[in-house]
Amino acid sequence: MTLGLCLILSAALFCIGLYGLLTHRNAIGLLLSLELMANATNINLIAFSRFRGDHIGQVFALFSIALTVAEVVVGLAIVILLHRAYRDARVGRASEFKN
Amino acid sequence: MPSSSFSLALLALLGPGAVALLLAIVTPLRNRVSAVVLSLAAALSALAAAIVLVKGQLQPVPPQLLTIPWLLQDGVPFAEIGLRIDGISTSMLLVVTFVASCVQIFSVGYMHDESKPAQGRYFTYHSLFLTAMNILVLAPNLLQLFLGWELVGVTSYLLIGYYFRKPSAAKAAVKAFWVTKFADMGLLIGLLVLRSKVGSFDWDAAITPAAANVVTLLLFIAVMGKSAQFPLHIWLPDAMEGPTPVSALLHAATMVAAGVFLIVRGWPLFAVAESTRAFMLGLGSVTALVAATMALFQTDIKKVLAYSTCSQLGYMIAALGAGSLLGGFFHLTTHAFFKALLFLGAGSVIHAVHSNDIRDMGGLARKMPLTTLTFVIGALSLAGLPGLAGFFSKDLILEAVGEHGVSLPLLLLLFSAFLTALYMGRLLLRVFFGESSDKASHAHESGGFLILPLVMLAVPALATGYFGGMFGQLYGTAYHFHLGTTGVIAAGLGLFGLGLAFVLYRKSEEHPALLQPIARLIEFGPMDRLYEGGFHRIALPFAALIGWIDRYLVDGVMNLTGLAFVVSGQKIRRLQTGVATDYVLATVCGVLALVLYGVLR
Repeated sequence: MTLGLCLILSAALFCIGLYGLLTHRNAIGLLLSLELMANATNINLIAFSRFRGDHIGQVFALFSIALTVAEVVVGLAIVILLHRAYRDARVGRASEFKN
Repeated sequence: MPSSSFSLALLALLGPGAVALLLAIVTPLRNRVSAVVLSLAAALSALAAAIVLVKGQLQPVPPQLLTIPWLLQDGVPFAEIGLRIDGISTSMLLVVTFVASCVQIFSVGYMHDESKPAQGRYFTYHSLFLTAMNILVLAPNLLQLFLGWELVGVTSYLLIGYYFRKPSAAKAAVKAFWVTKFADMGLLIGLLVLRSKVGSFDWDAAITPAAANVVTLLLFIAVMGKSAQFPLHIWLPDAMEGPTPVSALLHAATMVAAGVFLIVRGWPLFAVAESTRAFMLGLGSVTALVAATMALFQTDIKKVLAYSTCSQLGYMIAALGAGSLLGGFFHLTTHAFFKALLFLGAGSVIHAVHSNDIRDMGGLARKMPLTTLTFVIGALSLAGLPGLAGFFSKDLILEAVGEHGVSLPLLLLLFSAFLTALYMGRLLLRVFFGESSDKASHAHESGGFLILPLVMLAVPALATGYFGGMFGQLYGTAYHFHLGTTGVIAAGLGLFGLGLAFVLYRKSEEHPALLQPIARLIEFGPMDRLYEGGFHRIALPFAALIGWIDRYLVDGVMNLTGLAFVVSGQKIRRLQTGVATDYVLATVCGVLALVLYGVLR
């Protein structure tokens, strides 16, 4: 198991997330895609930490997980409100500010 | 005793001023008889002061000046303000206060039917006018004269527009104000030129003839407005919309004569300004003729007198143009008396008949004997009947103009003298003699308040001519009466004019067929139409052009700039779709571009 393989895994995950972000219309799908991209970065952080031999990267990864959780909480709350308002979770519906 | 004469002059100046201020501030006082009593008291005390002052000037005494520095700039006064007491100012003060007192007494009777507050307003304006006029008359320099000049202009506006609910009166007031203010620009610019040339506003400062010509010509523009000289005379006939006593005081005897007074006061300047005086001589004689012609064709008794005033002011201007200080000022004095008398007589008639139109009058001699007698005295004095005041002063003018042989101005003035007699003869015949109309048949003699001033004014209208020597002494020039050729011709023309009036207008005020074209021309109102046409053809299109430039060029650039931003904003905002994925895509594209840039560099 080399650093390169880890980075390829992380890049692959990131691209899958990006693809999902660009193609999905459903807010929950978008959140899932964002989660994939965030975890791709976490894999990067842990891989670098493992191969450098210190723990700073792991600390960063823990921070990042905590922040992502908070983000998902806010995101899901918005999704629920959206659904309540429009009976639909597709973000394209929420275009009230658009003239 | 200089100090006592200064206090007398201050009394004449500040008495009416204090009354005007008091009445303006304390409204309850204005709504009662107290307004009448106070302003009359102020006018009469000013008259008393003037009489004492003139008596003091009968001995040869140097001019007395009381001045205080005014408008200090770094401790240096810009000008001075105060009093100048000499023969000219005191005799003018006497004329003004005497006529003002007569007119105020007359007004008590004439305005009796007005409501109390309206009367209070009227007498407040009168006191203000007297103050303004005395500021002008007693001015020690041209700046203070200008101050009084503008103040009398304001009171003239207020009094012409006294019946402000009548649209024609309001319009006449505005017209008078505009025309005279337009002319007053000349006085203001003239003052500034004088200040820049000689460093003060004194009229007796040393000045070069070239500068004097410029300054006096500018001052004369203002005189043309105030004294209603030919192209700027148009406001005076309209000013007759004011109450008749106002016409007598402001628009016949005193305020319009302020223009002549300005020339008399600024005589040291005018004496060296040959070109201006030549212009004055020409314009004065033309005005005398034109206005006398207009007077002949009026049917409104006040308008006849108004045009007659223009004409007589033309005589004064012509006299001053010919270099006769005494002629101009003496005629101002006699004219003030007999024209105020004529206007008050007309007021008495209007009060009785309730109409201004001479066709509504006629045969009043039997019903109003005293008014008729005094009016006839004034009319004959104006017509230049030998022995009356007007004859002496007019003779002095004609002699001065004819000094260097027969000239066009002399002929114009002589013909005007004939016309004067003709139109006054017509007026007398139609108003007081002949058959009376329906309105006139119920007329009866006016009350004491109306008759007393008529008698008071009839005396000087009869007799002022015999005091020429005294007036000469006051103005510092010798006066000797001698009957020359021009005097005989003028007297003859006057008598001929009266006789012709009897022949032509004995039966009716209609003009003979020969004069009908002129009557139609005057009815057409060429001067008013010229101004109106000029206003419509030149001033309004010019204003429209300026308006177009402002609206479409100046504003256009501004509006175009604003519009460009609005339009471009509307186009660019389409980029913001509001869809989150589009932003993500844009971010990805940006990142890819940056990566490509980093790789390819």
